[in-house]
Amino acid sequence: MKPMKTACFPLFVLATATATAQSPTFAAPVRLMAGDKFLGENRLFPSPVYHDLDGDGLFDVVVGDLPGRLTVARRLPGDGPPKFAAETKVLAANGAQVDLKNW
Amino acid sequence: MSPQFVDFDADGRLDIVAGIFDGSPHLVRGSAAGWQPPEQILDRDGARIVFNQFWNFDTKKWDSTHRCDGPGQTGEGHLTSAIAMDWDGDGDLDLLLGDHSSGRVYRRTNEGTPQQPAFSTRNEPVLAAGKPIDVPGTVATLRLVDWNGDGLLDLAAGSMGDAYSNGEGGGVYVYLNTGTKQAPVFAAPITLVERSRKGGTEPLRPDSGLYMDFGDHDGDGDLDLVVGGYSHWTPKPIELTAAQTQRVAALRAELAVAEKGSAAIMEAIDDATKGLAEAAADKKREELSAARLDELVAFGKKRQALQNELDPLVPGPKRASFVWLYENLGSAAKPAAVR
Repeated sequence: MKPMKTACFPLFVLATATATAQSPTFAAPVRLMAGDKFLGENRLFPSPVYHDLDGDGLFDVVVGDLPGRLTVARRLPGDGPPKFAAETKVLAANGAQVDLKNW
Repeated sequence: MSPQFVDFDADGRLDIVAGIFDGSPHLVRGSAAGWQPPEQILDRDGARIVFNQFWNFDTKKWDSTHRCDGPGQTGEGHLTSAIAMDWDGDGDLDLLLGDHSSGRVYRRTNEGTPQQPAFSTRNEPVLAAGKPIDVPGTVATLRLVDWNGDGLLDLAAGSMGDAYSNGEGGGVYVYLNTGTKQAPVFAAPITLVERSRKGGTEPLRPDSGLYMDFGDHDGDGDLDLVVGGYSHWTPKPIELTAAQTQRVAALRAELAVAEKGSAAIMEAIDDATKGLAEAAADKKREELSAARLDELVAFGKKRQALQNELDPLVPGPKRASFVWLYENLGSAAKPAAVR
């Protein structure tokens, strides 16, 4: 598995595909698991983003939602298809969950 | 709310940018100590960046404005998604903003510096194929991706669709940048995930509220899609015995009574507030609702219990959120890259 990389400036993570991939064929979608639960299950409008949150060189999946809260499913080390730990809260500097507090 | 990890203020640390349902873009700054409290991203004059609808934190009500209208703005716009992008190649980050109500995408230009952004005050429509972008199913989220590997950022959008009933669902689209790094020109969209027609008997895909991101999930060198969203399905009906058929009829009759009971309370409250000024009506409604709360809760519990018994016998429509992987099977291997 190649880890996602981050750059210095501007710091948004991107990936490239080949020109032949403009209209790709996707496999039938499958639900991702985080631990023994479906990732994002019962969240209000879950919005996933790939990001290596803990800097271990493996992409994690950070999930936002309508109320504005962030969780992360950390990717577990190992070969084969990526596996993810159970979702945990993304914590802010003050120890509370990162929460954009919708309104 | 779909987070974007980006160095918004050019301090060498990743921040989080996100549009949220209050109608404005927000920022969570990264620091040596960790994520800082969220703040609104304001324009150059210190005013909120909005389309039309927004949550007014002073009045604690939904509000509307035309203060920031740009050419062709619909008048009903509701900003719920935001990404930072160096639109014009000048080294600082501008904002692209998605409209949850109409499918339009707008831009705010950074007239300041990378370290001290100063965003323009009007919403400028982003075009594709010469017309304002109109994401089919309205915008759920925006992402940046070099989809065709030409070194230019393309714009991707996931769409909302009908997130609550049987209407057409959402899809995923990419608008290729056929211009330059300094002057993007977006083409007509390529459909990556068709809008859902729904109608399944089990969760088969994200049907509505499609929030996606791109990455090489399986390490085979091409871009896969991870997509959050709601699945809508109705399980296959079971064959009922005579006794079960009889029980279903009884449950439905009881359910109708319970629904009629709670509806009558709400109707009585509405009747009692008719003719009152808005503030007085709100106050009266609050008082009457509180006075009859126990009855409403009892009806609610009754209905839930009946529905719980009815559901295995006559499965009704289901709706649940998940995060899905769309594995890309179609492209040649090429390592993921970063700009």
